[in-house]
Amino acid sequence: MRFHRYATPLLMTLWLTGCATQHTDKASLYTRLGGMQTIDSVVENMLYRVADDPEVVVFFANTNIDHFAEAFATQLCDISDGPCQYEGPPMDRAHQHMGINDAHFNRVVEYLANAMADEGVPLAAQNELLGRLAPLYDDVMRLQ
Amino acid sequence: MRISTRQVITKIMLPIIFALGLAVSSQAFAGSRLIGTGGVGAIEGAAGGGLSPWALLSSTASGQEVGSTATVSRAWLDDYRLTVEAASANIYDRVEVSVARQTLDLDTLGGELEQTIVGTKVRLFGDLLYHPWGIWSAGIQHKNLADDSIPKALGANHGQGNDVYLSASKLIFSAVAGRNLLLNATLRNTDANQGGLLGFGGNNRGRDWVAEGSFGVFMTPKWVVGMEYRQKPDRLSAAQEDDWQSLYSAYFFNKHVSLTAAWLSLGDIAGLASQKGAYASLQATF
Ligand code: HEM
Ligand code: HEM
Repeated sequence: MRFHRYATPLLMTLWLTGCATQHTDKASLYTRLGGMQTIDSVVENMLYRVADDPEVVVFFANTNIDHFAEAFATQLCDISDGPCQYEGPPMDRAHQHMGINDAHFNRVVEYLANAMADEGVPLAAQNELLGRLAPLYDDVMRLQ
Repeated sequence: MRISTRQVITKIMLPIIFALGLAVSSQAFAGSRLIGTGGVGAIEGAAGGGLSPWALLSSTASGQEVGSTATVSRAWLDDYRLTVEAASANIYDRVEVSVARQTLDLDTLGGELEQTIVGTKVRLFGDLLYHPWGIWSAGIQHKNLADDSIPKALGANHGQGNDVYLSASKLIFSAVAGRNLLLNATLRNTDANQGGLLGFGGNNRGRDWVAEGSFGVFMTPKWVVGMEYRQKPDRLSAAQEDDWQSLYSAYFFNKHVSLTAAWLSLGDIAGLASQKGAYASLQATF
């Protein structure tokens, strides 16, 4: 089969590189993100992007930004297995009845991704953090 | 007439698309979905890879947004040259409509085959990134040959036909060496021969279900490489038909311009064996 001539080496390469990372990346995601210092810079960087987007910034009109930045950073630290415990309200309560739609959600994710790239977070750590945040979509959007 | 239309398209439309795309690049409105999540333009007009439609909808339009794309593609095979001009619109990330015109130049046999494909794809549920099952869509493609004399001489029954398909796509974050992995599977019901260019129906059998699949690894958020496989029916005893496959690389300069290059292996086509070649596709998105 012609298919296998291309597929087999390609899949094997992918599989082997997959294994290689499994064995070498022992450090926690928190460490690979760059620890609390980088997380704080990422959150600040993201907030500048949010501030520049009139359609998203309106949601934060009555928000205490310092409190939000701290809560969000704590949650990123927690979800990346860092030494933090997020103790704020659950995601559905924190965002209820705001009127957030898919476009808003996607933009916030994009700002976070761009902020991580800007602050020099390695691509693998960026992807892994986004992968851990993606399932929160359901909670954030539940009570919209 | 035909030739001058083609020249207009390749010599004028292509540079215009590219220039427009680059000009509006950073300032213009772009959809809210992440870059690359609209795929590229498949040869039948729908958002997908090159050979197969994917479940994701074209452009990066999200709910409450609209987007549109224009795509020109060409494949240089051993004995044929395929040119595709296509356009699509995405309404609220729910419905995609597309139109494509395919022209197959029969370099060796002489002459050309041309068909127009009008398609609709509806997102049934889910999201490429956030839903645990990914995004699921259903689509229909109505295909109409400009001239069905060659296909009918080979044994095809009709000059037009409809494909329906169900497609699922999912992006798995950090799946391969920390890179995101895009998976697609499509199940298609079709009576088209060589995608429709050799007509519809034939003496071997009626409609078939065929499977198509692909994967891509986002080496960076803007660059995806992978492969596609498209199972094909084989209903003309006069012209054996094989499955199609490709190795592709697509680069998204920004949310407005993407360039895809691929290596194709399309098997036997209309009696000429083992057609292989290169593929290039340029897409502008607004
Ligand atoms: C995965 C996605 C998201 C995560 C993990 C997240 C996380 C958080 C956290 C931890 C808080 C602080 C809760 C508190 O301590 O009171 C918060 C508040 C907030 N979030 Fe999100 N968020 C997400 C998506 C969004 C989106 C898409 C929007 C809007 C476009 C948004 C708008 C807000 C606003 C306005 C507040 C402040 C609410 C207040 O003033 O009390 N969030 N978010
Ligand atoms: C026929 C329609 C649908 C079916 C059969 C379906 C099925 C499911 C199932 C079985 C789960 C649970 C999977 C799990 O917990 O691992 C789930 C979760 C979810 N669904 Fe759907 N769903 C449908 C429509 C939708 C729609 C329309 C949306 C939003 C636009 C949506 C968004 C979600 C989200 C965000 C989750 C949770 C993700 C998570 O918590 O990990 N679903 N769906």
